[in-house]
Amino acid sequence: MLTLDEVSYRYAGATRASLRDVSLTLRDGEVLGVVGRSEAGKSTLCLVASGLAPRTLGGTLSGRLLIDGADTAARAMHEMASDVAIGFQNPGTQLSGVATTVYEEVAFGPMNLGIARDEVLRRTESSIDALAIRVLSDRDPDRLSGGQQQLVAIAGLLALAPRHLILDEPTAQLDPAGTRLVSDAIRRLAAGGASILIVEQKVDLLAGVCDRVLALDEGRLTLEGPAGSILADPTLHALGVAEPSPVRLRRLANEARIPSRAIELALGRAANVTDA
Amino acid sequence: MPDLAVESLIHVYREGGVRAVDGVDLRIGAGERVAIVGQNGSGKSTLVRHLNGLLRPTSGRVLLDGVDAAMRTVAQLARSVGLVFQDPDRQIFAGSVRAEVEYGPRNLGIRGEELRSAVDWALAAVGLEFDAKTNPYDLGASRRKLLALASVLAMRTPVLILDEPTTGQDERGVQRVRSVIGEAHAQGRSVIAISHDMRFVAEGFERVVVMRDGRVTLDGPPEQVFGRDAWDQLAATFLEPPLPAVIGDRLGLGSTPTDEMLIRALASLG
Amino acid sequence: MLGGIIGPVVTVLLAVVFPALAAGVLRALVRTSLLLTLPIAISALLVNLFFFPGGHQVLLRLGPITATAEGLGFALEILVRIMAISGAITLFYLATRPQDLVVDLERRGVSARVAFVANASVQTVPAMVERAQQIAAAQRARGLDTEGSLRRRVRGVLPIVGPVILGSIAEVEERTLALEARGFTRPGRRTLLWWPSDSTRQRLARWALVLALLALVVARIAGRLG
Repeated sequence: MLTLDEVSYRYAGATRASLRDVSLTLRDGEVLGVVGRSEAGKSTLCLVASGLAPRTLGGTLSGRLLIDGADTAARAMHEMASDVAIGFQNPGTQLSGVATTVYEEVAFGPMNLGIARDEVLRRTESSIDALAIRVLSDRDPDRLSGGQQQLVAIAGLLALAPRHLILDEPTAQLDPAGTRLVSDAIRRLAAGGASILIVEQKVDLLAGVCDRVLALDEGRLTLEGPAGSILADPTLHALGVAEPSPVRLRRLANEARIPSRAIELALGRAANVTDA
Repeated sequence: MPDLAVESLIHVYREGGVRAVDGVDLRIGAGERVAIVGQNGSGKSTLVRHLNGLLRPTSGRVLLDGVDAAMRTVAQLARSVGLVFQDPDRQIFAGSVRAEVEYGPRNLGIRGEELRSAVDWALAAVGLEFDAKTNPYDLGASRRKLLALASVLAMRTPVLILDEPTTGQDERGVQRVRSVIGEAHAQGRSVIAISHDMRFVAEGFERVVVMRDGRVTLDGPPEQVFGRDAWDQLAATFLEPPLPAVIGDRLGLGSTPTDEMLIRALASLG
Repeated sequence: MLGGIIGPVVTVLLAVVFPALAAGVLRALVRTSLLLTLPIAISALLVNLFFFPGGHQVLLRLGPITATAEGLGFALEILVRIMAISGAITLFYLATRPQDLVVDLERRGVSARVAFVANASVQTVPAMVERAQQIAAAQRARGLDTEGSLRRRVRGVLPIVGPVILGSIAEVEERTLALEARGFTRPGRRTLLWWPSDSTRQRLARWALVLALLALVVARIAGRLG
């Protein structure tokens, strides 16, 4: 369980705090979505929850980051890696740059942690299978597509065997095929019981995978609750967040006074089609 | 306002011998709004880079108002065709927003009052009018992308090409891009956009061109390209039609690629 | 005359030629070595052949300059020494895979971070070149004239160099975060998945070379090799 307790964070040299009094809990096996406009503090939230802020980035943190109830303030960054792993949106810069094969790339994390060789191999194998990238094992990571690189990056994170996974806009720079690859992988991980905190602008993606969603606005937590109800919340639009397609359709239908039964029927049947 | 013509265009990259564009014929009339979609590697970026001369054809030609683009340098073509790249950080170099936006028109020889008004207009169009003195790296990634857009808008080119304008943008940024495109269209400019966002494409463009393996596989209005008959071809290139198109088809309402069209079709049922 | 040559020739045979033969790189070594040393070799040969002080035994007379036997002897000595040095360096490059070297160094205690930098440096230049090309394309699309006069082209340097540097720095920060998040800064050794194999023969060969070196040094000091 990962908990932020009244956390505020200000980057080094900044005049204002990027996060203010944020409290949240990510429970084991839960998928938590984070929405908000640009610069609302979503990336900052990810950096704080992973421990990179303030350990690597500097800056000032007030409040506490707790893992299973224990304060993490005294822990160094490498000690955080096996509890919380974080992925970013640029597929290329997440790769170590020193691995000649995907296999080596995925093994990079556990190798750093000095884990016994057999265990490193075991974790690498299981992460590669979890992301279904066995066919890429011998390829050069630099020559993969963006979507494939993101899968490799996420596999590399899983190899750390973290309790919680944080993904900051993993599909932002991917084309539709890459987005599909990554979102399917996330869905499988979620179904397998992983704890994931995921930031995305693609609300349709979040609707398909999150248990709960929270919204940030100017560094503060403004909405929080079950994914279905938060993503349908009308105030979300004022926060600069897009509506998921079905939500938008329902709203437009209501405004046009079309009976909701027709819409629900249509959405239900469409859902069956697109899931096929 | 000029029209663009691409004739039997083939482009083979010297390095690796990749046939990125494999025989494309396209005509884009003055004032058209065209979206080009397809996976990475389908040839979309290679194609549009021929329109301002950054790439030259291996064979075939590009005509701007009937004149072969090969006769003009990139700097000359930049007067007529503006291209906004996907990554603003691979372009921004000035210390202030204003200086960055001035760069393009300055290169075209625009000075004085004309320069000032072009820059003011471009900044207002993207919502950066109060940030003229801000350092571009103090803007967030989303607004830096709008800055890159403004820097090309200020050049007032009759043709505007946008490479992935909504990638990395939040909803507000996407709205801005929509309104910029709408205004450019209203002024009679041609707008060509490469995009992955099918909803953005269906709602904002009269014509959609689908590319795959260097060729055009579909070319027509959204109703046609996202209509039932085209779904197999879309699936072959890993694209999905927008949700309203799927719903409209299931309900037997014909082709309804946008939410608005679907609602109208449902409403007319009574 | 040729007495002074024996030492260097033996060294070259033992330390360069035989190992090159064993590693299968003798032909490449000879080719590369010759290419590298040809200019120096020619000048050393000519200078010493004709202008060696203390040369008496005349071999050839070309107008005002004479080639002497002592000069030839000295020139050959120098040549062999040059071949020994260039041969050894070339052999090192030809017979060693950089990956193997870095991994082995790390196994023997060199810090993981040094190993990382050694490996990662290779990638930096192509990445920067690609970035510069993309930036140049974006600026050209905004009217930067790269096909005009030299003065215009010089003015175009900042709009390209600026983002290259800024972008590379920004990328370093992103990479650092990703590395730290994967435990890179953990002190101590990291687990290695593989390392180059070391056989008894290789170990013996290494020790033999070290002993030979010591022997040569001793012999030199004792004045035996001149």
